[in-house]
Amino acid sequence: MTTKVSRQVSGHVVLGTLGVLCVFPIYWLYATSLRAPGDIGSLSPLPWPLSLDNYADAWRTIDLTGMLVNSAVVAVCTAAGQLLVGLFAAYAFTVWRFPGQRLLYLLFVGSWLVPFQVTMLPNYVLLSRLGLLNTIAGVIVPTLCSALGVLLLRQHLAGFPRELLEAAAMDGRSSWATLWTVVVPALRPVLAALGILLVINAWNEYFWPALVLRDNAMVQLGIRSFMGTEGNDWGPLMATAGLACLPVFALYLVLQRHIVNAFVRSGLK
Amino acid sequence: MTILAELPTPAPTRAAAPVARPSFAARIRRAAPPYLYLAPALVLLVVWTYRPLAQAVRLSFHTWNLLPTSPITEVGLANYERLLSTPDLGASVWRTVLMVLGILPFSLVIPVVVGLVAARVRGRIYQAMIFAPMLVAPVAAAAVWQWLLDPGAGAVNRVLGVRANWLHDTDLALLTIIVVTGWHIVGFAVLVVSAGLSGINPDYADAAAMDGASRGRITRWITLPLLSPTMAFLVLMTVLLSAQWTFPLIDTLTQGGPSDATTNIYYLLWDYGFHSYDAGLGAAAGVIFFVGFGLIAVGVVALSDRVSHHDD
Repeated sequence: MTTKVSRQVSGHVVLGTLGVLCVFPIYWLYATSLRAPGDIGSLSPLPWPLSLDNYADAWRTIDLTGMLVNSAVVAVCTAAGQLLVGLFAAYAFTVWRFPGQRLLYLLFVGSWLVPFQVTMLPNYVLLSRLGLLNTIAGVIVPTLCSALGVLLLRQHLAGFPRELLEAAAMDGRSSWATLWTVVVPALRPVLAALGILLVINAWNEYFWPALVLRDNAMVQLGIRSFMGTEGNDWGPLMATAGLACLPVFALYLVLQRHIVNAFVRSGLK
Repeated sequence: MTILAELPTPAPTRAAAPVARPSFAARIRRAAPPYLYLAPALVLLVVWTYRPLAQAVRLSFHTWNLLPTSPITEVGLANYERLLSTPDLGASVWRTVLMVLGILPFSLVIPVVVGLVAARVRGRIYQAMIFAPMLVAPVAAAAVWQWLLDPGAGAVNRVLGVRANWLHDTDLALLTIIVVTGWHIVGFAVLVVSAGLSGINPDYADAAAMDGASRGRITRWITLPLLSPTMAFLVLMTVLLSAQWTFPLIDTLTQGGPSDATTNIYYLLWDYGFHSYDAGLGAAAGVIFFVGFGLIAVGVVALSDRVSHHDD
């Protein structure tokens, strides 16, 4: 019995320590952002007196409202597009057998191995020819095919009860009607979880928007504007970084289980 | 479990084929639907991933300084020869290997230990805490770590009472990047392990306990072997993605420095792309890394199929 208790205690100690180490930097990010500008360097664990000056400062220096709106538009449009494109592709892969299927599937898997650093310059050149540089569309369009989305949805559809599809076909429903009236309703939890994951990924994306948008019009790029070669402006920097993470944490608090499941299934990208 | 693994898909049963041979147009119409559904994804994939890759392959046999007005000259294999003869490539590959090895404790060892410990205490709150860093945007993570590790005002140095320059000391920078990356991804690996553990049938351990096996022996001889597919998946992820995971942190925290101490292969590519004005060389490096990672992926998948125990 005592060994059981000591096991329990050691378990809580190990997990608790790791948990605190993981959360501490996040706590410190928000703690610093809420200190008065004169106390930035303070080591007191609680930011007191609380102050929103850093946030006000960040808002004055950069167009945070515009950035947050742009980031939200990009994240939602990207995720919605990726879901739709991925759903169609996964549907094609699971419902039909067709010549070239394996090869085409390998094309999707293989795209994971193509480094972003290889594609960025040719894609940049193509965007500039299309006149999409410095536009929100230019950020979204090149990312609309998410191999992750296709592979995940295919995996789920592979387990989809075939009888339902056959029953729909018997009823004389077209594949298009079957997709929307049979498959999508049944797949709703999966689509929701994947959608959240894709929104988070798109929200956190930095490099591609940094290339396409010259005027720092998204919040992840805004963070960088407080980092200088001469040293950083820590207060507003932490405030902007904190704001950039806030929507994701809010989603996490509300939808924790879904998000965790989505991440576990996804591999991570 | 792994997405890279092929799932068997049952073939759809079709209605019996009509006896009369259908017309050409009718056959086209019957064959078309899967391709139509695939078309949007395929067009995007070709335009935004494989066209650039093909362009990189072509460019790797040419020399060009990225200026639209200057000529693109064919040079055969010269870029590859140059690449393999400069020390940059070998050094960055070596540093990438070090990063992979350094990240493995975070992506494999700690998660397995945590998973085994968590199995005997109720710890959803801990999992939530360990997972949180995963959600922090890489740039925001870099910002707060830069603040924590600041040589003068940073909390880490002041709490430890040292004056280490974590990010700009050639001996420390690589280690710092590894630890920060480890912090960022450990929660993901913990979740993967706990998913793997919950998929193990408890009957085996119960039977062994009935036969008088100790906890340690059960862990060693039952749990860990049954967890091996999960562990193989994590190793594959670490090998293939470490360079990607570290990249945004390197770019924000050290820019590959000090004196290249944190330049891994992706940072080298990034650097070739933007700073060297040598498009051919950068393209050659990209092609080499693509092929190299492809071979490693195939190798690790084959190897893990051989060493993993499956609960059949």
